[in-house]
Amino acid sequence: MFAFSETSEKEIEKQLVKYPPDRKKSAILALLRIAQQQNGYVSPEAMEEIGRRLDLSPAYVEGVCSFYTMYYTRPVGQYVILFCINVSCHLLNCDNLLEYTAKKLNIEVGGTTEDKKFTLLREECLAECSRAPVMRINNDYHVNLTPQKIDQILDSLK
Amino acid sequence: MPKKTQTETVTLTIDGKTVTVPKGTVAVDAAKTVGIDIPVFCYHEKLGPFGCCRMCLVEVEKMPKLATACTLAVGQDMVINTESQKATKGRQGVLEFTLLNHPLDCPVCDKGGECPLQDNTFAHGPDLTRTEFTRYNRDKAVPLSPVVTIDRERCIACQRCTRYSDIVEQETALVMVNRGFQNRVQTFQDRPYETRFSGNVVDICPVGALTNTTYRFKSRIWDLDNAETLCAHCGVNCNIVVGARMNEFMRVQAKSGENSQANDAVDDGWICDKGRFGYGFVESANRILNCRNDKGEALEANDALGQAATQLKKISDEHGPKSVGFIGSPYGTNEELYLYQKLFRQQLKTNNIDFKTYKQAPGLPVDHYDVGDIETSDLVLLIASDPTEEAPVLDLRIKKSVSFFDVKLAVLNDQKTDMDKPAALSLRYNVGSEAETLSALIDALNDKKVRGLEKSAGIAPKLIKELAATIQGSEKVCVIYNPAALNGVASDTILELLQTIGGLPDKQCGAIPVAPGTNAVGALDMGAHPNFYPGGLALSEAEKIKSLWGDESPLQPGFSALEMIEKAAAGELKALVVFRANPVVDFPGGSAVMEALKNLDYLVVHDMLETETTQLANLVLASNGPGYDDGTTTNIGGRVQFRKRSLVREDHPPDWMIISRMIRSLDPEAPSYKNSFDATDEISKNVPGYEAINKKSVKGMGLPRKGFACSEVQGNGAPAAEKPENGALRLRVTNYLFAHDKILDASSPLAHQFKSSTVYLNAEDAKALGIETGGEVKVVSGDVAIDAVAEVSDRCNPGAALMPRVSDEQGLMALVKDPDAATWVQVKK
Repeated sequence: MFAFSETSEKEIEKQLVKYPPDRKKSAILALLRIAQQQNGYVSPEAMEEIGRRLDLSPAYVEGVCSFYTMYYTRPVGQYVILFCINVSCHLLNCDNLLEYTAKKLNIEVGGTTEDKKFTLLREECLAECSRAPVMRINNDYHVNLTPQKIDQILDSLK
Repeated sequence: MPKKTQTETVTLTIDGKTVTVPKGTVAVDAAKTVGIDIPVFCYHEKLGPFGCCRMCLVEVEKMPKLATACTLAVGQDMVINTESQKATKGRQGVLEFTLLNHPLDCPVCDKGGECPLQDNTFAHGPDLTRTEFTRYNRDKAVPLSPVVTIDRERCIACQRCTRYSDIVEQETALVMVNRGFQNRVQTFQDRPYETRFSGNVVDICPVGALTNTTYRFKSRIWDLDNAETLCAHCGVNCNIVVGARMNEFMRVQAKSGENSQANDAVDDGWICDKGRFGYGFVESANRILNCRNDKGEALEANDALGQAATQLKKISDEHGPKSVGFIGSPYGTNEELYLYQKLFRQQLKTNNIDFKTYKQAPGLPVDHYDVGDIETSDLVLLIASDPTEEAPVLDLRIKKSVSFFDVKLAVLNDQKTDMDKPAALSLRYNVGSEAETLSALIDALNDKKVRGLEKSAGIAPKLIKELAATIQGSEKVCVIYNPAALNGVASDTILELLQTIGGLPDKQCGAIPVAPGTNAVGALDMGAHPNFYPGGLALSEAEKIKSLWGDESPLQPGFSALEMIEKAAAGELKALVVFRANPVVDFPGGSAVMEALKNLDYLVVHDMLETETTQLANLVLASNGPGYDDGTTTNIGGRVQFRKRSLVREDHPPDWMIISRMIRSLDPEAPSYKNSFDATDEISKNVPGYEAINKKSVKGMGLPRKGFACSEVQGNGAPAAEKPENGALRLRVTNYLFAHDKILDASSPLAHQFKSSTVYLNAEDAKALGIETGGEVKVVSGDVAIDAVAEVSDRCNPGAALMPRVSDEQGLMALVKDPDAATWVQVKK
């Protein structure tokens, strides 16, 4: 069962007043974010709950949720590493860096470390091509990556 | 979306041809009017413009880039070129991308031969592929539900199905998940796609991605003999196309833009899943193939019908005309029911003719609205009707009207239904208090005070007043009601209400009675009623009756179906013909009905499937039934259409022939018919209102018969509310679309939709009884006990037990003694 916490409820209340009552479905992105903030990811039960709040079918909520890569539909680690694989980063060898990171964390791309600390994901463009290769860890950007830099960053998070 | 009224037009040029169309028309539809076919995938006229597939690119003068013709609302003096080099090249490019990962499995694809992607590729695509890399492989043949299969490789992500689910079905059960390359059609968490209307996605899919599981690999479409015919389930009479191969049933499709011209006056091009997947009765193992006597010996049809006619005549002569009777069914065609009433009235001189267990007289005090009138109404007032379960495609029409034509919906019901969601106003009266509620509404409309309704019906007077004000404020009111769900007194009160609404100043009012059965309206029109001749002629209109039916026509009121059962039990009724009905299960009374039928001297059952009733028959006449027999039916909107046969049976005569031969065996002078249309012609001569109905007019869109006024409406006033016994709840029997009966038997592809016996209780009663959701209970009335699983919900007000009829086996009607009186039940753990 999924239930919004008290903090979440307060946040939802703040979001819902932004939209006219007959357009409340527009609050779907906000509610997905709140659900993810609370539990780390958006579970199917959370999607159903959001659907109930906004008069939407759970399928519609899942459709929206799965469209955006920044909503996680499975449990993730404490730090989520989003590795840009788009053109600029690709040209600057992000593939090798991604592989390097995966090996270092001892997981597959898409997986989570056993201690639930890191999740490693591919991401399409992170809109920071001028400083490629780029990765994002939770809310921070890390740019002009090299293996040494990656070592440094990951060590600082351990 | 087509607009309600179209007055303004624009004129433009498409490929050098001048076109004048209503303002707002999109270029694709405008081109169609002059025979120019712009290829489309995502566009569907019932879903409106979308523009995601880019297939319909055209060049428009003064526009810098190619435009999508499906989203382009045409403007005055626009010049559109569909065949310019730029447009052709554009479309070719789009197709190349569309085909990028589409598998080349046309030779084994069910859609092959009727596939827009195939057709468009031939007409507009590149000759050769430039693809040199491996195609993207995805899941093939995944069940989306037990009746719909999806092939993810073939999907071109046009989103027709997901938009259908959103716009038409309005459930948003199917959606696109993920993004871009990973895009896929999915239900929530891949749960089965089980709605009332899921099969329509198979028709609208422009590729072979969504296929009918029951038809997979059964036939190639060019081997099919397609019959444009009617569905034989509910009263909407949706237009379907039945495909048969070498006289073997293959599949049902909606008659829609995909294969023919959809009949917008009836179904808008959609059908429900029962219509699509519930056609298995034509090949059921349970079919009655031969006539037989009570020893089980097979009889030639001619011998059997001769025996039946002679025996009936003999009994009628010996014991008087009151001793024979006919119980028909709303599943018969107009011709069959017309001929049966003729046999009983003219040859056997009796009015013991009926087809139902509820009260309803033919005719309405207001207009009989056609289904299309719903869209042009200002207010739809839905009374005691649950279209989703009883006439599903009507549910789609109402939702469409509310969403796109600003029609207001008001619901007055004793149970929660799916129609509460689109309703602007939804009132729930206590089970059994429909008469009080309707009377109160009449009072409110006459600006009289409404008193005591809260106590008797559970509705605040304020709400009734609000409803009355809504009715008064609407110019065109369409009342949709289920006569079978109104108890005896309310069946008069509803007419009084219609008269009251119709009598309000500046008001157009019409009604659509939605009774169970395919042809309930036609059955009433054809005089399958103990007090009315065909065309709603009351017995009191002796002169008219005599001029149409002869001087010897019986003018004594006959017995109703329920009275016939009573009289059979009492030994007064000696012989009975039951046509396509199963009183043992469907009539109230349970074992008493069986005893009554056993008490008859002579029982003839004319049916297409074996039932509990055929087991009691002295003579069984085999009926080919829908699928094999031609005939006309009258839908809930009064529209008469032709139900063509889709399969041929040469070794057994059709029902109309069986009945007409019975007539001729008693009266050699009676006309003989070469085909069903000869009987239709006789109907148009003898049935007031059916004058314009003939072989020609019943085809295509069909033709509404002329409605007729009912005999004088007498308000009986509300009956005094009865006091329940201690702890007893009032039973309401409701309908469930996929009930497990003889039509949907265990081998039906819809078997996954069967439900177990359930009783819905209000939380208040459940608490008092100590019953929780999921608890196994017994619902008891007298010595009858029905097993059920309890569900605690707000589906009905306190004081009631609501039970859907989910199967024949459930035996629910045994609880009911008299449908006009209250049935009180005890729900026990």
